[in-house]
Amino acid sequence: MTKTSQRVTAAVFCLFLAGFGLLHIILPDRTFSPVENRNLRQMPEFTWSALADGSYTAALETYLSDQFPLRDGWMGLKTRYEYLLGKREFHGVYFCGDRLISKLEDDSRSEQNLACVRQLTEKTDIPVYLGLIPTAAEIWKDYLPEGADSFDQTAYLARAQETGAVWVDIAGALAERRDEAVFYRTDHHWTSLGAYCGYTALLEAMGETPAPLGTARRAADDFYGTLYSTSGVHWLQPDSIERYVSGEGVTVENVSSEETHGLYVDSFLAEKDKYASFLGGNMPLYIVRNENAAASKKLLVVRDSYSDSLAPFLSQTFSEIHLLDLRYYRTSAAQYAEENDMDMIFVCYSVENFIKDTDAAMLAQ
Amino acid sequence: MVFSSLPFLFFYLMAVLTVYKLAPLKVRNLILLLVSLFFYGWGEPVYIFIMLLSIAVDYTHGRLVERWRENDALARRVVASSVLCNLAILFFFKYWDFIAGNINAFTGLSIPEFGLPLPIGISFYTFQTMSYTIDVYRRDAPVQKNAVAFGAYVTLFPQLIAGPIVQYKSVAEQLEGRREDLEKFASGIRRFTVGLAKKALLANAIGELWDASIAAQNLTVAGAWLGLTAYAFQLYFDFSGYSDMAVGLGRMLGFSFLENFDYPYISKSVVEFWKRWHISLTTWFREYVYYPLGGNRVSKAKWVRNILIVWVLTGIWHGAGWNFLLWGLYYAVWMLLERLFLGRYLEKLPSALRHVYTMLVVLVGWALFAVEGLDRLSMFLWTLFGGADAYAAVDGYHFRSYLPVLVILAVASTPAGKNLWGRLGERTRSVLTPLLVLASLVLCTASLVDASYNPFLYFRF
Repeated sequence: MTKTSQRVTAAVFCLFLAGFGLLHIILPDRTFSPVENRNLRQMPEFTWSALADGSYTAALETYLSDQFPLRDGWMGLKTRYEYLLGKREFHGVYFCGDRLISKLEDDSRSEQNLACVRQLTEKTDIPVYLGLIPTAAEIWKDYLPEGADSFDQTAYLARAQETGAVWVDIAGALAERRDEAVFYRTDHHWTSLGAYCGYTALLEAMGETPAPLGTARRAADDFYGTLYSTSGVHWLQPDSIERYVSGEGVTVENVSSEETHGLYVDSFLAEKDKYASFLGGNMPLYIVRNENAAASKKLLVVRDSYSDSLAPFLSQTFSEIHLLDLRYYRTSAAQYAEENDMDMIFVCYSVENFIKDTDAAMLAQ
Repeated sequence: MVFSSLPFLFFYLMAVLTVYKLAPLKVRNLILLLVSLFFYGWGEPVYIFIMLLSIAVDYTHGRLVERWRENDALARRVVASSVLCNLAILFFFKYWDFIAGNINAFTGLSIPEFGLPLPIGISFYTFQTMSYTIDVYRRDAPVQKNAVAFGAYVTLFPQLIAGPIVQYKSVAEQLEGRREDLEKFASGIRRFTVGLAKKALLANAIGELWDASIAAQNLTVAGAWLGLTAYAFQLYFDFSGYSDMAVGLGRMLGFSFLENFDYPYISKSVVEFWKRWHISLTTWFREYVYYPLGGNRVSKAKWVRNILIVWVLTGIWHGAGWNFLLWGLYYAVWMLLERLFLGRYLEKLPSALRHVYTMLVVLVGWALFAVEGLDRLSMFLWTLFGGADAYAAVDGYHFRSYLPVLVILAVASTPAGKNLWGRLGERTRSVLTPLLVLASLVLCTASLVDASYNPFLYFRF
């Protein structure tokens, strides 16, 4: 090596490392990463005890990596070169051409949670409906990389029909429309169209005629969902969010905050988590009321976030819908239904959440 | 702190190099000692005291050996005391719980188990300090009267936590005065960057494949072999990458360490493999255990005993677990077989077959090494040798996902890259070097910022 080359090598090395080190110190820290959709670690507070047990330096390392200059760019770069090297799975998310699909793994709770539903049907006289929403990994299985592994949801759904609850065949309804956008391409949730499939499946299970789909209105066309965040695959087109139900005459009461608003909370459209514009995101209990509903019926939905976009359709059929999230509202669903004179209970979860849910025992307590 | 981490690269290393290079030569050993203690204390500050104790013990023993040199019996006792102290520290932290746990399980006694975390690098530095007193006694190295210089040797951060095991005699002169110039600095950078890329780009990339295999519920025969291959690559690139970084950092600071790896996966016999893998460890055992026991200049029975002793020790040096003991015995058996009769037949085989044979032995060896717990190990071996479905679709998926990486790793395991580099003209190399260093730094940074997966395998030994 020539002397010049040695000098340049030394300069490149030192300037790169010292440069980014200094940038790190100079640049202000961020509190939130919109791209990753999470709070970033702040400078840990120094204490001697934290130093002694090693937690201080560990926190400092997380802080440095969270606040590293150009963090989003570095992460995108890593995903890109891994992609070039043949990798198709990024942090548990499969890259499938134009869409991202979350990998599903079995959880030890998958069977015991079905037993909880059975207990619910035994405990109450109110009719119980069970609808489990398969994820895109099942409905869009043929988009997955060849041979890619994912939990066998079809087999699980077959077992789930034996709980004694009335089975709502959401998988069948979704499969019929599988060529359409029933799931977001960058988010794990179903789209409004997918939710409509869930709605028709429920009404068919009840032996009733569902309201027609109606026409779509686009609420947002720049939605980057959770899969976009977790995978680091940042070169996909954003999703759009459609609404089919106008929401006229429908009120949504957020019981814990004692606020009342409409079916949609548009302020969320300006934020990262645009899916939360349905109802207003995860809350312990919403009560959706519609005086113009087709029937004067009270429905209890024990649910996860998938029901946020299902609620608009349900509001056309039921005059009062209680949306109960057992993760935040710790009460017995059976008891709640009795006390509030519910006409029926709809247990509606995505398979993804249901097989790992730790609060299903609350269903029948 | 590990080398392949943001705090080390962007803060610690730059700060240390600045202070070190600006300081007058006389205080550089002191600076090394202090920054190395900081480096060591980053993960587990409390264990700095064990480190200091270890320095004090061996420094004193070295001085005592020197003083009582004329009285050989006494000097020998000092050496024995040093060995005993070091082994006691190592034994307490590394083996106590394992032995107590097994005795308790067998006899129903309840000898206390402490569950202490293993002090980082303890297996490395206790071996280094032991070699010092022995070297002084054997007159292979001069006694170190300067406690700071000795402390700098023991704590020297480039090799502190994962080797190579630097024998005192190989750096004794360098501690007194070392040449530092631009050429050495630049070559250190090159070497360090190569090691960093091996670790952050290659080892981490393939490690996920092994983790997927070991976690699979229905592991197939093909999946087990693919996973094991991934592990073999991960371990080599992880560990040799770390050694490269250590050698590179050493050069930046003016030291020359001996090499620790020499393309082990091109070996054509098990004996050759062990001349190329973790050279500093095998050298240590050869010089301080095998030769003192008589090596092979003894009766055949004693020679077999010597081999067994050395390999059992090599096995359990890597960890307190039955699988490591088995792994050591496994290699003792292959060593004996090759030396006694297999070697003669091997020589007649075409070299491709000898290579396949060696790789099979090594791969199965890594299964013993990697799968802890005898139940899980026997399950894994059962799968490996056909006790499961031959193939599943997911194996094909894994193979396709990792094929380009596997090809890169296979080529990088041979000297092909080095040979190609050597054939390039001086001019081309001069232009390429800074560019490659920059490219590696950029990719490694990207990889480390997204540090969801950055294990370091040799950390726990």
